[in-house]
Amino acid sequence: MTPALDLVDIRKTFDGFVALDDAHFSAYAGEVHALLGENGAGKSSLMNVACGLYTPDAGQMLIDGAEVSLAGPSEASARGIGMVHQHFKLVKPFTVAENILLANPRRSFAKGIREISDEIRRRSDALGFNIDPTRRVGELSVAEQQRTEILKVLVGGARILILDEPTAVLTDQEAETLLTTVRGIAAQGAAIILVTHKLADVKKFADRVTVMRGGKTVATIDPSTKTTDELTELTVGASLPLPARTPGHFGRRRIEVINLRCTRADGHIALEDASFYVRAGEIYGIAGVSGNGQSELAEALMGVRTPESGLIQIEDAGEAVSAASPARMRALGAAFIPADRYSYALAGSLSITENFAVGGVGTGRYGSWAHLRQSAMKKDAEEAIGAFDVQGVRTLSQKAALLSGGNAQKLVIAREFSRSPNVIVAHSPSRGLDARATAAVHSRLMSAREAGAAVILISEDLDEALALSDRIGVMTHGRLVAEFDAPADRQQVGRAMVGHV
Amino acid sequence: MSEDAISTVPNPATSKRRLHGIRFNLEVRRDISPWWQAAYLAGFIALGIGISAIILIWAGVPAGDLIDQFLVETLTDSDNLRSVLFQGAPFILVGLSASVAFRARFWNLGLEGQMIWGGIGATFISIHHIGPEALRLPIMIFAAAACAMAWVAIAGQLKLKLAVNEIISTLLMNYVALNFLYHLLYGPWRDATDGFPHSPKYADFERLPDFFSFSGALPLALITALGVWWLVSFTRFGFYMKFVQASDKVAGAVGIPVARITLVSVLLSGALAGIAGFVVASGQEGRLIQNFSDGYLFSGILIAFLSRNNPIVAVIVAMLVSMLFISGQSLQVFYQIPFAMVQLVQAIIVICVAASEFLIRHRIHIVR
Repeated sequence: MTPALDLVDIRKTFDGFVALDDAHFSAYAGEVHALLGENGAGKSSLMNVACGLYTPDAGQMLIDGAEVSLAGPSEASARGIGMVHQHFKLVKPFTVAENILLANPRRSFAKGIREISDEIRRRSDALGFNIDPTRRVGELSVAEQQRTEILKVLVGGARILILDEPTAVLTDQEAETLLTTVRGIAAQGAAIILVTHKLADVKKFADRVTVMRGGKTVATIDPSTKTTDELTELTVGASLPLPARTPGHFGRRRIEVINLRCTRADGHIALEDASFYVRAGEIYGIAGVSGNGQSELAEALMGVRTPESGLIQIEDAGEAVSAASPARMRALGAAFIPADRYSYALAGSLSITENFAVGGVGTGRYGSWAHLRQSAMKKDAEEAIGAFDVQGVRTLSQKAALLSGGNAQKLVIAREFSRSPNVIVAHSPSRGLDARATAAVHSRLMSAREAGAAVILISEDLDEALALSDRIGVMTHGRLVAEFDAPADRQQVGRAMVGHV
Repeated sequence: MSEDAISTVPNPATSKRRLHGIRFNLEVRRDISPWWQAAYLAGFIALGIGISAIILIWAGVPAGDLIDQFLVETLTDSDNLRSVLFQGAPFILVGLSASVAFRARFWNLGLEGQMIWGGIGATFISIHHIGPEALRLPIMIFAAAACAMAWVAIAGQLKLKLAVNEIISTLLMNYVALNFLYHLLYGPWRDATDGFPHSPKYADFERLPDFFSFSGALPLALITALGVWWLVSFTRFGFYMKFVQASDKVAGAVGIPVARITLVSVLLSGALAGIAGFVVASGQEGRLIQNFSDGYLFSGILIAFLSRNNPIVAVIVAMLVSMLFISGQSLQVFYQIPFAMVQLVQAIIVICVAASEFLIRHRIHIVR
């Protein structure tokens, strides 16, 4: 049997940087084939070659055994290759049908919309997607937008479906539903390529898995023959130690949140009477299904969202602040690791040095207002990059946007921890990171706890919250509904998370 | 489900990316070295100049005279050179004004209104003889800057407090300023000696002095440019401005006082435009005339765009635009070429520079 898609000896460089070297990949019709690897292993680059976004420097691409060379994504799509990118390519003010028509143009607009709407309804019913073609994409949830993307490539006639990190933005239940549906599409004769770094998804849903490391294909195997640890070792190249837990030494209450209340722009109450405290040397985990007020809580704590009522009290301040600005919170010794790095922490178009030094500029560390010493900034940035193991820095003047997710997160942590904060607010600090970077982030949080900081860990990943927290608060519908001391029972916490739905 | 089952027949390849039988693919670049960036830019500027030259020749300028008109005559004739050097000063100032505002993501389209208020402020000092003669010039410059700042502060506050789009507020306020100027010139400030609608002439000590027979306007503009360059490159304020420009959300979250940085930048932008207004009023006629600010809005934006908001590059671009203007005036005289041709040349060069962005951001791959 010939593979539906076969990539042979692919090599791709960017201005001297080798992204892919001798990469192989082949997927058959009817299978779910996972592509596993750390951030920067070359998974996305290889799939960008497959869908025509990149032209390889060397190597062959075969579809159904015939060699092809693609001149862009539209040609890939004409040959039956459809990619659902991690960041959706949808026009938010357009309806679902208009978005799908845009990618699959018909001769007449009105007729096209009619035909496409019918087709969306049919396919959506068959797949259990429940998507209304007349709704605006901007009003859809993330999971529904993803289904729209999948419908878009199916309507385009895709037989080879590439899904790039499809579960990164979904809750556990949504991910389960999606992957089950995707298996169904494969059963009808499509080749599904699942780009991921989640081992659990691979074990459960993939027929075969290809592992990449450092731009090379390491192995193609049946995941059911390997344990999770063996798969980790293949992707990372070594086994990772679990963060060591030491008994806590808790001091006084460092930060106390009293009856915090926030309303969303649409009038819904996002946060209602949230109250908790965190002691020095303690990690307080906030667990919950995403969208239950965690983002609003994190934003209120960072000072970028003004709460309607309630107080945030930091011990050293001696006074309670109701609506602190980020500058004020920072002056009181707070540090922030936001979930969305490029919205709240890093300016992607500025250099690594600038992004690092911005934390210290206001303190006068780099000179007076009239003159900043660039050399001092560079020196500090260089030291911090070494100390916090930020990889992939070719020069300090390189744009921060060129760092991979894990390394960008390490840069944020390097900056935030450089002032030895006494309160740390971390929101989904390992979202989108691979196993190695996640381990590094976790050990940083643990050592901040050792050093006596009060850490608020808002995490939608229950395992992460359980592994790190000394106490866990469970959030549903904007309220803290339950609190557990470590070691908390996973089942009990999980029940509390969904109990009030 | 059967009719929607996964299709098994591949569609024929229908690539539209085909040029004379050569297929190519476009990739988004991750990064590009500054040298290549400069090379692409230079290439496209040359292309723009080439297209402009063809249009000028087609309009009746002999090909052999083009270089003569644009370079030799403009730079060797002492009257022309003096005009180029003088005209460069207000261009530098409006270019800086636009750059400073754009760096704070404030689209200041009110350069002309701010120039008018600069002129009004300075002329007020002149008409009411405020301050001793020896200090009159600095007082006038200060008054010009202060009035223009007050004018732009309205749009700045509207944006920060009420989220009013500054593109609209600054642009429309130009007309308010212009009509107020007409009111002054046709009313209380009409020149009593000749009855024309312009302000009374400034006294000699109220005009920028000449140095070595060249106008003092250029040194003033150059010193200002150096100051702005230092401000944006080496100070804490400039550092914070970079973050505000890159992302005001990130800037706010990392503790930068975004509103204050924006407001100060907007005020500085207004002050620079106000001083430009004074330079034109004092240097050209030595009085406030009706349309002295005409065309500076477009030139200011053009200079800021071509210089990528860099103050030093803005000086160079402003001098080139000044040369283009002065040679345009001689073309008008010698070949009856309409002055609109100068604007056409400017526009062609802007389009070419904007087009170079495409190659800076993309890489073209030939597909075999």
